[in-house]
Amino acid sequence: MVRHRADYLYVAPAILVMGLVIAYPVWFTFYLSVFSTPPNLALEDKIFVGLDNYGRILGADSVREASLNTLVWTVASTGFAFVLGFGAALALNRPFRGRGLLRGTLLVPYVISAVAAAYVWRWLLHSDLGVISALAMASGLRSTPFNFLDNTDTVLASLIMVNVWKEFPFVMIMMLAGLQTVPDQLLRAAQVDGAGPWQRFWHITVPHLGNVSLVTILLLLAANFNGFTIPWVMTGGGPAGASEIWITQIYQLAFGRIRFGLASAYSVILFAVMMTMGYFYVRALVGKDRPS
Amino acid sequence: MAGYRIGRRELLAGAATAALLPGALAAQGNKTGVDASTWTPDYINKLAGTAEYDTAAECAKVVPLDYKGRLTYWYWGVNQASTEIERKMEADFFAAFAKTYPNIELVKQNLDYNAMLDKLRTASIGKSAPMVARLPILWGSEFAAKGQLMAFGPNDVGYSEDEFWPGALKSVTWKGKRYGVPTNNETMAFIWNAALFKEAGLDPDKAPATWEDVVAYSKQIKEKTGKNGYGMVARVNAGNTPFRFMPQLWAFGGGALDEAEASPTYSKIMLNSPGAKAALQASYDMYVRDKSVPVSALTNTQTENQDPFIAGQLAMMISHPSEYALMIERARKATGADKQVADNVVANMRYGLIPRGPARRAVVFGGSNAHVFNPNIVEGGMDLQAVKAFVAFMTGPEWSIKLAWNISNPGNVRGFRTKWMRERLDTIRFLDVSTSMLPNGIPFPVLPQSAEIMNIIVPNMLQNTLTRKMTPDQAAENAAKELKALINDL
Repeated sequence: MVRHRADYLYVAPAILVMGLVIAYPVWFTFYLSVFSTPPNLALEDKIFVGLDNYGRILGADSVREASLNTLVWTVASTGFAFVLGFGAALALNRPFRGRGLLRGTLLVPYVISAVAAAYVWRWLLHSDLGVISALAMASGLRSTPFNFLDNTDTVLASLIMVNVWKEFPFVMIMMLAGLQTVPDQLLRAAQVDGAGPWQRFWHITVPHLGNVSLVTILLLLAANFNGFTIPWVMTGGGPAGASEIWITQIYQLAFGRIRFGLASAYSVILFAVMMTMGYFYVRALVGKDRPS
Repeated sequence: MAGYRIGRRELLAGAATAALLPGALAAQGNKTGVDASTWTPDYINKLAGTAEYDTAAECAKVVPLDYKGRLTYWYWGVNQASTEIERKMEADFFAAFAKTYPNIELVKQNLDYNAMLDKLRTASIGKSAPMVARLPILWGSEFAAKGQLMAFGPNDVGYSEDEFWPGALKSVTWKGKRYGVPTNNETMAFIWNAALFKEAGLDPDKAPATWEDVVAYSKQIKEKTGKNGYGMVARVNAGNTPFRFMPQLWAFGGGALDEAEASPTYSKIMLNSPGAKAALQASYDMYVRDKSVPVSALTNTQTENQDPFIAGQLAMMISHPSEYALMIERARKATGADKQVADNVVANMRYGLIPRGPARRAVVFGGSNAHVFNPNIVEGGMDLQAVKAFVAFMTGPEWSIKLAWNISNPGNVRGFRTKWMRERLDTIRFLDVSTSMLPNGIPFPVLPQSAEIMNIIVPNMLQNTLTRKMTPDQAAENAAKELKALINDL
């Protein structure tokens, strides 16, 4: 320890910055979560309520409803984005004319700002003036517009569709990178041994993509748990809470209802879920490097 | 809805409001030359252009014109949807202030309406608030209750309180102290497309007299023309929703709290009153039963009503006098066949009073106020002299009318006597109609949780009804329960 004293000095500035920008907000969120902060009081006049905020969050009907929505939103967005992105990666992994252009085009949803994309999709899916409905009606497929966003039964599925559109290029990039690591000689050897395309894919490609798939899925799960922009811009959690997820509820509690204490307790719960996922993410990253 | 009967208590409350208001307004008239107790389109016309004021001279009495200082100011100003005249007036205002007080450095921020409240809340907690902010009427009480505003009223900038509407003064009052100066006040009006009325077999020049008529007209228009009748707006977290639904709620005898009564206590919950349930039922009838309003009402703001209206696809809506100017601009930009449709809509645009209900005719008493933040949360410290100079300049008769040109009315009632009011009346069609709604204006409850009530609880109640997640009765009871918890939480 004494021998390495200088090393600690070198990393001290980085530790200090991390402490300020990460540790302090986390600590303050924990601290605020045990206080009541009604809108008629300034933050310094907050009232200590112990774990009461946690009880209120866990016992609220609206939170139960949002939890189910969050689960559906996260799992479905991740699942569909992964399948679509993986499919695109497989298709683009083989050389063909115009592959570069197609790769670039498919990346567009990923590089577009999420706010801009959400606004565009809001208009595309608008229940009275939407472009998709207009096209369907003009081509005689429908006599009335689709009700994507103003219907409690279809709103979450519509948002998931937009989210998948936005996220699948990320999966595509990750899996394309993973596909480059599959040893070509192994594939050729299998072919010589008489393995068909499906057998080569299932027994060689898929096992080689295990780690990158796991990391990609975990990153997507984390991003979708925190996926605020698309639901907030497109529906604000409505109609009647049908597209409310944890993160939009936290925002609404903090900034719409000025309940920073309650919102902090809610954030701590989300934090615990995220940390659990983070643990598995780190294990997935580190695990592959460990000697078996 | 047909079964709803107005209670005796509600009738008495409405009568008391009607009886008290003219007295207060007449007293105001003796001191300012503006007698709002006789507030009719004729009176407004006669008053315009009868007085002249020297802004610089009035301001100089408060702060010398050579004062040297610095000011930070946040406001919700012109945006992409604003008309040319609004842009010009705002630019002229800042230029005129710089000319009148050349030694005051003004650092201004024009914020998006929907983002401003959150930004101010965060800035106030982080002690980086501006010195002055112009806020919509609904927001001030929250900051005053938290001690984030400085006690500051019309008297601090050399104006008598009689120069402002009583409802506007109520909106800047918290626990008996003034926390702002009204900049502008407005009431909306009912707008309809006469051509669509005619096509549906309705009298094209007659607005629906009652809210029951609105439901019936909307249905008839949908059935006869296939176009949407009433431009309902029910988005959560959007100021447009309460501005359109609360007049309906009050008209039926409901309310959030008792804000519509003569002497509101803000402790009586009215969201589950028979009147509130009847108002919800009317919305349910239009959206669910008759399907005569836009399906997208649940995600729409008023902005989304403008396109279908100019395209002749929507017959009725509630909005500002500026809506007419906006439609003219849209028609000007239209091309080809769209241009003909748009021109036809503009020619057939009509303004009328917002319909009555069984209890009253009501409209939201809207507007904005200039507030001064508490020096201990202002970034860079406070320059009170610069603040006084700026607020006096902005809330005097000249700029309170010019900045409100086609979107509102002057907060300072002396503005109604200026030549600019004459010019407005001559150039802004229907201004007299929306202005004459002012005595029917009801301010939102002056409570720190007003924004939550109006932007979340009331729209949620509406959405729960319109999506059939709850019956109107259940939605009203649920909202009342939520409101009770909110009040008890404080």
